[in-house]
Amino acid sequence: MNRHSEQIEYLVGQEHDLPALFQSLEVRGLLHEALNAGVLQVLIKLEDGSAVCSEGTQNSAAAGREIRMPLSLEGERVGHLLVRGREGDDALDAVAGILRSAISVVMHNNLKRMMTAEMHTSLVTTTYDELLSKNLELSASETRYRELAQNLEVKVRERTEELGRAHARLLQQEKLASIGQLAAGVAHEINNPIGFINSNLATLRKYVGRLLEMLDWYRLQPASAGQLNEAADLKARELKLEMVKGDVWDLLDQSLAGAERVRKIVADLKGVSHVDEAYGATFDLRLEVERTLSVMRAQLPVDATVQCDLVDTPPVAGNGALFCQALVNLIQNAVQAVPSSLVLKLGSFRSPGKVVFSVADNGSGVSEELRSRIFDPFFSTRDVGAGTGMGLAVVYDIVKNCGGSISVGDAPGGGALFTMEFPLLSQEGV
Amino acid sequence: MIEYSQSENRMVLKLVYYGPAMSGKTTNLLTLHELLAKDDRGDLMVLDTVDDRTIFFDLLPFFLVAPSGLKIKVKVFTVPGQVKHDATRKAVLQRADGVVFVADSQIKEQMNNATSFENLEQNLSLVGIDIEAVPLVIQFNKRDLKEIIEAAEIDRLWSSSGLPVLFSSALKGDGVVETFAAITGQVYEHLDEKFGLAALHGLAKDAFVDQLCRLRGSDGDQA
Repeated sequence: MNRHSEQIEYLVGQEHDLPALFQSLEVRGLLHEALNAGVLQVLIKLEDGSAVCSEGTQNSAAAGREIRMPLSLEGERVGHLLVRGREGDDALDAVAGILRSAISVVMHNNLKRMMTAEMHTSLVTTTYDELLSKNLELSASETRYRELAQNLEVKVRERTEELGRAHARLLQQEKLASIGQLAAGVAHEINNPIGFINSNLATLRKYVGRLLEMLDWYRLQPASAGQLNEAADLKARELKLEMVKGDVWDLLDQSLAGAERVRKIVADLKGVSHVDEAYGATFDLRLEVERTLSVMRAQLPVDATVQCDLVDTPPVAGNGALFCQALVNLIQNAVQAVPSSLVLKLGSFRSPGKVVFSVADNGSGVSEELRSRIFDPFFSTRDVGAGTGMGLAVVYDIVKNCGGSISVGDAPGGGALFTMEFPLLSQEGV
Repeated sequence: MIEYSQSENRMVLKLVYYGPAMSGKTTNLLTLHELLAKDDRGDLMVLDTVDDRTIFFDLLPFFLVAPSGLKIKVKVFTVPGQVKHDATRKAVLQRADGVVFVADSQIKEQMNNATSFENLEQNLSLVGIDIEAVPLVIQFNKRDLKEIIEAAEIDRLWSSSGLPVLFSSALKGDGVVETFAAITGQVYEHLDEKFGLAALHGLAKDAFVDQLCRLRGSDGDQA
């Protein structure tokens, strides 16, 4: 790129000599016209005597008079004009004067033109050089930015994956937390029947011992019926078999009922967790709500009421276990939002093309400015550490996964109203 | 210096009239052209202008011969003052032997003066000229106008720079030749140190300045 600057090294004001200003034929034409006007010979000579231009021939016989006129360039004498004519040619002085003026004008104008051209070239060259170096700089910075952009893409992808993993981890943690709470409730539920089944079995063990002892006693008695009856009664009284007879059925019935309760709880739990079902099928909304409620009931405060207004709806696309998880989160939210006298209203209805399910509480509701943010991950109105800020985010994700939508509004009479809408699978609901 | 040839016994000098747009740089040259003797100087060459604004430069050349036979040509240039012609200013400023900064005396133009002077400092350093060393005079032009900055104020502002400050009214012809004399005098001193103008060429400062600043109609003018 510096080649250009090296090639054209122009300095404003640099000197031009006379020959450079007489390259064109214009001066020759002028001199020639002078010959037509009767002049014999015209010469332009430099200060050192060499001729730059000449017209006509020196006719020593005819040449009688010679006029020398200085030629100046930028105030400096650079040469002279020599006009030779016949003796007695009256017009010779006038022709020489005109010629000198004309040549001066040509010199002046040519010099001006050359300077303009040189200046222009110099500016174009500098401008071009500047453009080239700017261009180099620009392409260098472009390369830098392209690299940056490419790296950025990779970086963004890495970060996104990292975020995705963190998000998944959090969801998993949240799920584990809910499962933990659920497990606590379930444990409490099971503990009670297991407790009395245990105690009943201990008692039954004692009773069975007595009955066996009675049987052994009978085997050892001599065969005298009358005496035996009396002795047997005595033994039976000793073993309080009358009381055992009355109690043993109660204990067995109670234990069976308790075992049945445990079985049912386990069945519900399996239903809620859907451990036996394939992922991504459809689910019956009403059934899932009822299952979840039966598992959750132990976690609700004693003064809480649940009002259900559920209708039968066609199956909804999605994973029932996940839906239960969402409902668990919503109910836990309501329990935390309304510490006492919670009234939880669950309702479902069919609407053209969709199933609508709503959960309402009687708390203070969600303010307008928070509504757009409560489904954001990590957003929590509770004290730092008290809430993960993931509960509603999980709900949002689950409903989204089912192809549905969720919104929050005001429940009639105050409180928060969460409304989920699930699209119907077929056209049957339309 | 544009050129110095020992073999040809010849030097070509460059003086530059610098300053903000419309401060009267070309008018300075026009006035010099009008006032100074016609012999030993060329014609004023005004390169193309647009709307009467210089776009390349103006040139007024002078020629003199020292007693030793040393031929000295002094080419006086103007630069275009408009901001957009910075490349041209830089090109003209190259290898300048002296600079006249033509400032506009009008109060409203003081900002432009300052900007242009900064530009001069910057361009001098870009073309490799030391502003501390180069002959430099300041001319406050348009003294004939109203609402101009007072002379006392100018002295107060510029005295610390140590630069000669001259006052002029180029349109009326006042102070223009004096400014030219001031810069040529400084240039002489600068050259004398390096080339021994007085010692080797028998050219005294006064002779140098007087010959360049000879007024039209004075002795020796053959026009």
